[in-house]
Amino acid sequence: MGDNNVNLPPGFRFCPTDEELVVHFLHRKASLLPCHPDVIPDLDLYPYDPWDLDGKALAEGNKWYFYSRRTQNRVTCNGYWKAMGNEEPVMNSSSKSVGMKKILVFHTGEAPSGIKTNWIMQEYRLSDSAGSTSRSSKRRGHPKIDYSTWVICRVYERDDDDDGTELSCLDEVFLSLDDLDEISLPI
Amino acid sequence: MPENMSISVNGQSQVPPGFRFHPTEEELLQYYLRKKVSYEKIDLDVIRDVDLNKLEPWDIQEVCKIGTTPQNDWYFFSHKDKKYPTGTRTNRATAAGFWKATGRDKVIQSNCKRIGMRKTLVFYKGRAPHGLKSDWIMHEYRLDDNVTDTDISNAIGEASQEEGWVVCRIFKKKNLHKTLDSPMSSSFTAETRSQMFDSCNGGALEQMLQYMGNGKEEEMNEAKSSARTFLRPIETGMKNGYHERFMKLPSLESPNSTSSQCYYQHNIHPEMIIENEGSSVTNPNSVYNQMDSAALTNWAALDRLVASQLNGQTEASRQLACFNDPTNTMPYCSTDHDLQFSTLRSSSSSSNRSYHPTQDYNSEIDLWSFARSSSSFSSSDDPLCHVSNAPV
Repeated sequence: MGDNNVNLPPGFRFCPTDEELVVHFLHRKASLLPCHPDVIPDLDLYPYDPWDLDGKALAEGNKWYFYSRRTQNRVTCNGYWKAMGNEEPVMNSSSKSVGMKKILVFHTGEAPSGIKTNWIMQEYRLSDSAGSTSRSSKRRGHPKIDYSTWVICRVYERDDDDDGTELSCLDEVFLSLDDLDEISLPI
Repeated sequence: MPENMSISVNGQSQVPPGFRFHPTEEELLQYYLRKKVSYEKIDLDVIRDVDLNKLEPWDIQEVCKIGTTPQNDWYFFSHKDKKYPTGTRTNRATAAGFWKATGRDKVIQSNCKRIGMRKTLVFYKGRAPHGLKSDWIMHEYRLDDNVTDTDISNAIGEASQEEGWVVCRIFKKKNLHKTLDSPMSSSFTAETRSQMFDSCNGGALEQMLQYMGNGKEEEMNEAKSSARTFLRPIETGMKNGYHERFMKLPSLESPNSTSSQCYYQHNIHPEMIIENEGSSVTNPNSVYNQMDSAALTNWAALDRLVASQLNGQTEASRQLACFNDPTNTMPYCSTDHDLQFSTLRSSSSSSNRSYHPTQDYNSEIDLWSFARSSSSFSSSDDPLCHVSNAPV
């Protein structure tokens, strides 16, 4: 990242949408185009444990972002990332699939007997059709690391996913008490 | 590589990809609003001025969008100078509806120092008092440098709080507690409550206490520990399978009004209120047992408990005064609501630092009448019986 200073006024934060991650950051990275702002570091060679990402990956709030490459086994010093469920397509604003998103959960220890943690990784890759280099990897198996495919990882420790558009419980209580104005206060 | 990141925000946006305007409350107050009130230039025109009376919430999102990326919330400055002809309250009516304050203002702190207040408002479509509540919420932030807690009389405090620049954030509320929205369930079903308790757990308590404490930290801490004691039986209750009972709204032991009032006295023991006030320390176990044995299965008691928590110091001490007043031996056995309301009114307007006395008065009444109405609610077949609750 380094020499790319993003001089934004207070209050601006890196909160990219899925689409932005794929279309802007990942696509440019994969196409070897300059990324601007070049804020996301490439940690491909460093299999950090999630709690060691701070200071290495791009941190914003309690989320960390970095580039990596597609791999079947994400093993770190103290554990491994295990994929959950199926990949989901990332849609752009005109409902066209631009990439794929995979959810992984960090487990400490060794597979398959590791212990599940609250650390989540969202791994974004380009769709095969949109990919820059890799073509039709539809063959079954696919055990090898695909060095041609960049991914972007967003790592966070699971918490209530609060984007600030929920009211606190207390406010909800007050709000519902407002409803009682009419029925409980006859004039 | 272009190094110049200078951006113009409103209008044609040059916000770099991936960046969003998500200011903290502290940034809003300390940076943006402070610059605004001192007429300092703000580097970028990120936050616009909006005349709240002229724009509907759905129009605000168009005016206040930053760039072209999707937003969940919108920010603007608003100047509070529109008053109703008859009073000091801000007129927040638009063509299609009005903004109505809810709850109590929250203190915003920075480095343990109070820097401002946040008011929560809800947009209602239509005209008061028949508005239809919408999901649009506004958080209105104001600085409070000039208002010290003690020195300034209420009148001056109110006036200064009701004028000047505020910075606002509006958003459409996510509906987690869906049942709260339908008018039929607004009278709080047992399911709703248990949902609330399930999903709130400790967090809500903290917030209630923050409201209670309202800046008085020592008291708040004491109150915190005492209120934990209050809540503990509920938690244990849930774990021990009492949850079932909560879901079903247990029938009251005392269906007729006379005995339910005694019940009330029994449960809200003066001792608990003293502790709530934070002025003395009692044995938590006594409270615990009391709650555990009697109040746990009684929703009305829980309501009162919450109400006493929410209403905080003023009401608590008032109740205490009632209990200790030898001339008024059975204050809560009185069935004359009006009498009690006037008591509440006098206490809240004289000692409450709120600048919306009428409104706070209303919400306090709500809490109390609600607590009362819910006790009579389950004792009768008529769901609206609490409207005419007071025996004539």
